[in-house]
Order: sequence, then structure tokens, then C-alpha cells
Amino acid sequence: MTTASAVRAGLRVGPIRPRFRRRELGLLVVVGLALVAGSVSLGATRAVLADGTLVLAPVDPFRLIVYLAALGCAHLAQVLAGRRTDQVLLPAVGLLGGIGLLLMERLPQGLAGSAFGNSLGLAGVQLLWLLIAITVITVLAIVVRSDTWLRRYKYTWAAVGIGLLLLTFVFGEEANGALLTVRIGPVSGQPTELLKVILVIFLAGYLSEFRPLLVEESTRLGPLRLPPLPYILPMLVMWAIAFGIVVIQRDLGAALLFFAVFLALAYVATARAGYVIVGLVLLVIGAIAAYQLFGHVRIRVDVWRDPFADPSGAGYQVVQALIAFARGGLLGTGLGAGLPAVGGRLPIPAIHTDFPLAALGEELGLIGVTAILGIYLVIIERGLRIAASAADDFRALLATGLALVVGVQAFIIAAGNLKLIPLTGITLPFISYGGSSLLANAVVVGLLLALSDRGVEPPPPPRRSHGRFDRLLRRSVA
Amino acid sequence: MTGRRGGGPPVATPIGRGVVRLGIVLLVSFAVLAAGAGYWQVVRSADLVGRPDDPLLIAAARNVVRGVIRDRDGHVLATSKKDANGEPYRVYPSRSVAPVVGYASRLYGTAGLERAYDAELTGIRPPDPIDELLAKFSANRYRPQDLTLSLSLDLQREAVRLLGANRGSVVMLDPRSGEVLAMASTPTYDASAIANPDTAKAAFASVSNDPDKPFLDRAVQGRYVPGSVFKIVTSIAALGSGAITPATRYARQPPAEKNGLLVSGYRVRDGHHPFTGSRQLAYAEAVEVSCNIYFALTGLETGGDALTSWAAKVGFGAPIPFDLPTVASQVTNGGGSYGGGFSDDVELANAAYGQGETLATPLQMALVAAAVANRGTLMKPHLVTRLSGADGATTIGPEVWRQVVSPDVAAEINAAMVRAVEGQEGRLFTAGAKVPGVPTAGKSGTAQLTGSAAPHSWFIGFAPANDPQIAIAVLVESGGSGTTRASPIAGRLMARYLASVGK
Amino acid sequence: MDPTIATIWLIRFLFLGLLYLFLFGVVRVLLRDLRSAAREPVTALGRLIVVASEIEEPSTGATFPLDAVATLGRDVNNTIVVDDPFASTEHAVLSFRGRAWYLEDLDSTNGTYLNGAPIDGLAAVAFGDEIQVGRVRFRLERAA
Repeated sequence: MTTASAVRAGLRVGPIRPRFRRRELGLLVVVGLALVAGSVSLGATRAVLADGTLVLAPVDPFRLIVYLAALGCAHLAQVLAGRRTDQVLLPAVGLLGGIGLLLMERLPQGLAGSAFGNSLGLAGVQLLWLLIAITVITVLAIVVRSDTWLRRYKYTWAAVGIGLLLLTFVFGEEANGALLTVRIGPVSGQPTELLKVILVIFLAGYLSEFRPLLVEESTRLGPLRLPPLPYILPMLVMWAIAFGIVVIQRDLGAALLFFAVFLALAYVATARAGYVIVGLVLLVIGAIAAYQLFGHVRIRVDVWRDPFADPSGAGYQVVQALIAFARGGLLGTGLGAGLPAVGGRLPIPAIHTDFPLAALGEELGLIGVTAILGIYLVIIERGLRIAASAADDFRALLATGLALVVGVQAFIIAAGNLKLIPLTGITLPFISYGGSSLLANAVVVGLLLALSDRGVEPPPPPRRSHGRFDRLLRRSVA
Repeated sequence: MTGRRGGGPPVATPIGRGVVRLGIVLLVSFAVLAAGAGYWQVVRSADLVGRPDDPLLIAAARNVVRGVIRDRDGHVLATSKKDANGEPYRVYPSRSVAPVVGYASRLYGTAGLERAYDAELTGIRPPDPIDELLAKFSANRYRPQDLTLSLSLDLQREAVRLLGANRGSVVMLDPRSGEVLAMASTPTYDASAIANPDTAKAAFASVSNDPDKPFLDRAVQGRYVPGSVFKIVTSIAALGSGAITPATRYARQPPAEKNGLLVSGYRVRDGHHPFTGSRQLAYAEAVEVSCNIYFALTGLETGGDALTSWAAKVGFGAPIPFDLPTVASQVTNGGGSYGGGFSDDVELANAAYGQGETLATPLQMALVAAAVANRGTLMKPHLVTRLSGADGATTIGPEVWRQVVSPDVAAEINAAMVRAVEGQEGRLFTAGAKVPGVPTAGKSGTAQLTGSAAPHSWFIGFAPANDPQIAIAVLVESGGSGTTRASPIAGRLMARYLASVGK
Repeated sequence: MDPTIATIWLIRFLFLGLLYLFLFGVVRVLLRDLRSAAREPVTALGRLIVVASEIEEPSTGATFPLDAVATLGRDVNNTIVVDDPFASTEHAVLSFRGRAWYLEDLDSTNGTYLNGAPIDGLAAVAFGDEIQVGRVRFRLERAA
């Protein structure tokens, strides 16, 4: 039967038909208008500060047009491909990317650093990466039709992930006190960013496959009922990886992100709060150990507890960020009008990577910050909705994990900016400067869009596991 | 309980529920973030903006014409001039107010009131939140405010003149309102030279290298052994706690006048024996002749805990809340186990008459006099009485700080202090302090220092004693006995003030 | 109020306002989704009716509402438990893909039968077709 073999091959049945995506178009129009307004406000502020004359023109119209055109093309591509994917994700991401682009326009262009960066300027490099990101999102959304390659090779994915991690451990270069960057020739990137996506893919596959085991069984250790071995083993591995990241890479944010995503996915898969509690206990133990053992952790935590104790030394960044928020107040100072430079230097160091929220907080005020947090919530909500209406466990867990990766990362860095948790060096998704971050988050959103397609073929029937490993596990916990 | 759901062997709960719960957790987390942002951007906004390390202040300070600072009679204490490039710089007409008003210099930042009220003088912080909002919409969003001080330039100048070449300090305040009328610290310095960009470097270097430390505002930052003026604090503690009454006499006191009072092997000595012979003194006479032994015994009677806690009521033990930064005066270094932080009874006995480990700032001692003068009610000291700008004016009025002792006790101390200035024996210790024609109250002090330096000369007092309008504390470093320098300065300044207000 | 500054603030408010317009638009989409999801009753996609059964579980006449995927077999964790020694623990799976039902035999010992004929791997099932697992015969019907 031709239909049966086609289904077995995992291909879509039926011809491709372009479909109108009205909601996406409407939202994109709003996004475009907002970005134009923002750009004009920035340009006008610049003009007034320079010579007092009012000139209502966007700052660098060329970049704005290129960016909006890219968003339009992405929309058009999805329309032509006729996929029934989520219509809110692309506009939300587009808006965040646009705000990030405006921020990079506003900051001094010399912050880019490398020789390549200096020729294009901060905004130019960011635009380049944004274009690449939009392309990645669109390609993934259109081309990815089956998830077999994701669900079947989970151990391969795990191996690739560990490999990337080891690569960064060994070849990592230091930037801002964290060993994150790997340089191959002229190109430098942060492999840890991609690692989080791979981790989610692996976890989704693993947890969905072992879900019944994890829910029903538990290991007996004497009189205690602990979570079962298939949970404890990967949890300890995750904990070790996180600890390793803290120790070797000195990247607190990534470690926290990985562990938090793992715990959240475990909870969603099993609905057993006990697992989360065990995990949290391990986290606290690890945190205390890290604090006692490592100087760099101690510095961050002490600065978090009282940055005003050393406002011109260790606490300088955090104090200046808080002062920036305070200067913003409710309405902000206006794009381009804040961040007073003393002696030509911006008050907050590493503002384009670590503290974009502080800059936006000052210039857009509490109203603007709340709006930006709202947009992140929107992305999370769409991801969770895709998870809730997913056809099977693997897709649900994958979608949850992807949504978490963006949401929890945004939370961690925003909380660090606001002194709610110690500052970490991770980026604010889609807004911070940095190609690796944009690329990794683009993969996340692209996969989410692919998962959200309502017309794609249903998942394969649940496979009876034949593997020896699985039989071993079953026997050990039965 | 197993559910029947498609998608594999059924498990206990569907994933959907976990997703929803996760969603709620994330929603709450982001709400917490928004609240956190609100906290820093709205709640703590006022006290973060206006910190000296706020770059906005630093950047704005360069080009804003700062507000004018005036004294109580309208004399200008600080104003701005424009230099050749049209950029403003500060000018201070009188050297005498330098420790109080400070300076605002492009190179060296700010000091004194120029620093404490930087945000108001540059206009970064407008008087009211609505104004703050509206100011965003105007081109000149910074509206500097002028300060009016309670200081009297005339008194300040005279105080500095009288202190002369000595290092020392004078603090005068109105005990009824807490307004500071004079706060002199010598040596002063030329703040204009520091503010002027042409002479800034040289002037700052010479002032910093001056061994007499002109930058130190001795009135609020200098801690000195108080000597006998501290006996008023002991009086407050002893009479206030009821350890003694004004009629208390000690049998041990007269014999100890000759050979000294033995306290745990330490001898407390005294110097008024020729005047009082073997009379047992009551409270008022003990104050009049400044009897160390009487007060040592009183201190032991009162106990360390009471002495420390009553002294704290009048301001000891913590920095005094004031327009300028102050340091805390102390009754003891603390850490001892005797009671109140004293290490033993010897230290307590010595502290009770103002030696031991007691240290006081001139402002603190002026507050002691003010508390007694104002019937036991201590008013909060303040310098700035009015902030005025393009958007209106704010007045800062008197504020009650504490009720230190009851009016009856204050009256007793008041009477004793009057005897110390006007009594037969008293006037020998406070020569020059009396204001002619006006009942004057006071106490002098000769603070012995370790080593060979001359003792500090102190005087605290108020006038007129029956209706006090001015309280004063004078300190002359190593000025000799209390009579030598401090008392006459105090008398002349009080007289000058009372004459100026028509008494 | 300075007109230049006022104009700039107007544009700034426009920007902030458009951000909130976007959020508002998304919320409308959200609510519409929720309402339509709530309105759709949870209906089964189809039913399996037991036509003939020589055992107790399931007995003749029993009806099973079907979700997108239903497993059949002897094991208790199956969607439809066929408690027959002639049925394998995990015997077959019936799933709704796109627009049609498909039956797949999971390498069972005795095989799965569609309208009397044994199926090889995957086969399409239409409403009215009969499926046999062990000694139980089912018929696929539309949802009630």
C-alpha cells in the first residue's frame, strides 16, 4: 500500500499548499511599527543631544529595513510552505531581536571588540547574527517534518554534547572570568550554548522512554524509598556536569540553567515532586560546597549579598546596574538619553553582554522592563502550549524543555541584573550581543515551530524496547 | 490508579498537568522579577540616585550652576561664577564656614554640605515626585535649589577669630529648635582656592599636607577627652536614674580631697581642696567647684549600665543624625564585663569625671548643654532650614529628638550650672563665661591628656539660664585649663548673640 | 513644557505603547485558543466494539472509546486488555494518523487479523472493519 509505506517512511502525505497566516502577519505589523517608533525615538534623541534640533528620523534606516525585510521573508516562507505552525513565536522573537538591535545601535559601536566587529560596528555584527538566526528558524520550521532523528539517537546526542563540553573544558578561552569561548581560526563561539539544546533533546528522549519506570518504581535503600536508578544515575551525572562547569569553566549561570532544566523536565515527566526535592537538596549541597571551595564563587555570592560594601571594587558592576535601574524609574529616561558617560566610558562594564536589562531598564523604565519580561513569558507560554497539545510524551517533553531553556535563561540573567540571585555570565536570549547565543536560541525556536505543526504525521507507535540495556534496567528495578 | 490514555503504556498522571504546573511556577517567577524591577526602579529610586558615585551626578555636576547657599540673615556663603569657557565654578566669600559648607571642585569632588546636599544643589532630585515626572518634559530638566542655613555668618566669623591660632571648635545652637547658629573648626581653609580651577591643584595639595588638618571638621568629626564638662552627662545619668539626689553627700569625699580617693588601687585626685576644706559637698556645690571625687563616687553609685544608657539618650554611642556626617562620641571603648562596657570600677570612676576612655565631639557636648537648657527635651540639630528653587520651597522645621530627662531634673542641673558660672567659687573656674546682665549657666573642663601635651580647654553652657536661647560648646585643643581659653570665648560669643537678638 | 522634548516623549510613549499592543494582541490569541479548546468536548475519535469474545475480559458487546493511539494485548498496561493466553503481552496497536486508522502487529505470536486475513506489519483500517486479537473480535466504529 502506497499510503502505508509513505507513512512508514515518515513523509508527509499530500501536496504542499500555501496557507495564509493572518495572526502572524498582524503581529508582525505591530512589531514593525514598534521597532520603527523605537528607532525614530532613538534617532531623535541623538539629534537633540547633539545639536538641539529635532529630526524625526530613524537611526540607521538601512539596518532597520534589512531586519524587517528578513522577518517578512521568514513569514512569507512559512506561508508558502503551508505549515500550520505556531503564529506567535516568530513575531515575539522578532520583537526581542529588534529591541536588542536597537540597544546595540544605541551603545557605542566600538564595544564589538574584534577586528571584524570593529569594521561592522556593534549593531552591524548583531544584525548579521540576527539574519542568520532568522534563517535558521525558518529553515528548521519548514524542513523538519519528523522527529525520528531526534528521538531515536538520544545517546548519540548525549555523546555529542559531552564531546562539546570536553572541547570547551580543554580549549576554552577566558572572557570575563569564565572559560566559555573556543576559537577555531578567526571564528570564536561558545559551544555551551548549543549544548543546552542537545541536552534537552537527550533528556526528552530519555525521560519519555523511561517514564513508566520513573513514575512507578523506586529503589530501596534499606528502609528508605529513593527515586529509581534510571533517575538517580542521570541526576548524579547532571550534577557532576554542572559542578564541573562551575569549577572548570567558572560559569555559574550555565550550571544553574542545566540543572534547573533537568529538574523541571523530570517533574513534568513524572509529576513526582519528591524527585525535584531530592534534586534541590543536591543543588544546595553543591552550592554550599562551591561557595566554600572556590574563590570566584565566593566573590559572586558576597557581592550579591551586599554590593554596597565595595561599591567601587568588586561590587561596582552590580551597584552601577542598580543605580541605572533607579535612574530609569517608572517611565525610563528614553532610548539614547540614559547611561551617562563619565570620561567617555559607560557606567556599566560589559553592558552589551551581561547587563542589557539594566540598560533597557534605565532607558525604558519599569514599564519597558515589564513589557520585555512579558514577551519572554509569551515565548514560554507558546512553548508550553505546544507541549500540552503534543501528540506524545517525547514531543511534549521536548517542547517543554525548549521553552524552559529560553525562559529559565532569561530568568537567571534578569534576576542577576536585579540582585535577586548572584550575577552570572549568561546572556539574555535574543537581546544580548553574541552570535553563539543567538544561534542556539534560534535552533530552539525553530524546533519549537517544527513541533507545533498541527498537520504533521502522528508519532510512531510506542516501540517495545528490545535493547539489552533496557531489559537490564527493568530487571534491576522490578 | 492507572489512566487510559493513548500514547504508550498508561502512566499515573498525564504530562499536561505537569506542564500547567510548570507554567504557573514560571509565571510566578517572572512576576517576582517584575516586582524586583519595581523595587529598584520605584521604591529605592530616590536613595540610589544622588549617591556620589552616580555617574549622572558626576556628569551633570560639571555644567550645572549649583544653587546658592546662604546664612540665616541672607549673607551668601557659596555661589557660582563662570570662567573663561562659560563653565561655572564655586566661590566662597568667607573662609570661616569652610568646614561646614565644604567645597565643590571639578577635580576634587565635593565635601561638607556641598557634598551632603549635592543632589539638591545640582537639581538632580527635584522636590517632588510629580515635578520629577514633569521635569522629564522640559529642556532644562535640572532645577538647582538654593539652601538657607541656620548658620549666622557673623557668629561664625567671630568664633573663628576668637579661636585664633589654636586648633579647636565652637558649636552654638538654639536649644529650643535645634538650629545650629555657628559651627566653627579651626584651622579653616580657603575653599574658593580649591574650587577655582586655576588654583585647585596647588591649594588642595597645601591644605592636605597641612599638619593641622584643616579638612577635619572638628565640630562633628573630632573626638576629644571631655574632662569636667562630661560631669553634666554623669549628672543626667545619676539624677535621671535616681542613683543620687541633689542632696546626696559622701562621707568619703572630704578626707579624699587631701590624699586622693582610692578606687581599687587607683587614686582619684582633686584640686579644689583650698576652697572647700573638709566640707561634705552636695550636688550643686560639687558642680560649682568641679569636684572629681564627688563625681567619681557618683559614677560608682550610678553604675556602668546606667551611665552608658543615659549617655546614649543624649547621643553618645552612635553618630548623631545631622546634615553632615558625624562620628559617635563614646563613654567607653566597650568590651568590658564590668557593666555598660566598662572594664572595671576604676575606669567607671574615671569616666564619671570625664577622663578614662570618654571621648566627645564638640557637637555632642553642645547637645548636652542644649538638652539641659530646653528643660530636658533634646531637639534634633540641623543646619539647613530651607530649600528653595524654581518650583517652590521646602522648610525644615524643628523636630524633637528625645526627652532626655524630666524638666525637674533639668532644672536641678540648670541651677548647678548657673552656680558654676556665677557662684563665688564657680566663677574662678569659668572666668569670662558670664554674659553681663544675663544669668548664665555653664561648665568648664580641663581635659588631661596622656603625655606632656597641655590639656584641652572646654566649656559648655547656655544663656539666659531662666529662658535659654543659645547653647554653646567650645573646645580649644591643648588650650590649657578651661578658664584659660574656652570660657572667655564662650562668654563673648553668647553675649554677641544675645545682643544681636536684643537681650 | 518644551515642544521638542514633548514630541520626543510622545514617540517614546508610542514605542512603549506598541510593545504593549503586541502583548495585548498575543493575549487575545491566547484567550481565543483557550476558549476554542474548552468548547471542543473531549470526544473520542472512534470506538472499538467487541463483536465476539470467548473469554471474560473483554466480554462480548463491550465498547471501548478510542484515542489517537490504543494498544491491545494481554499485559495490564495496555489500553485494551485482552486477557487471553492466545494473545501476546503486547499484541497490536491501533492508531489514528492524519485522516485514517492504522493497525500494526507488534510481532505477536499468533498474529493479528483484519477482516479474517493476517496483517503484515502495518495495515489501514476503515470503519466497519473487523480486527481479531487472540480469540476476541472487534469492530471499528465511528465515535458515538
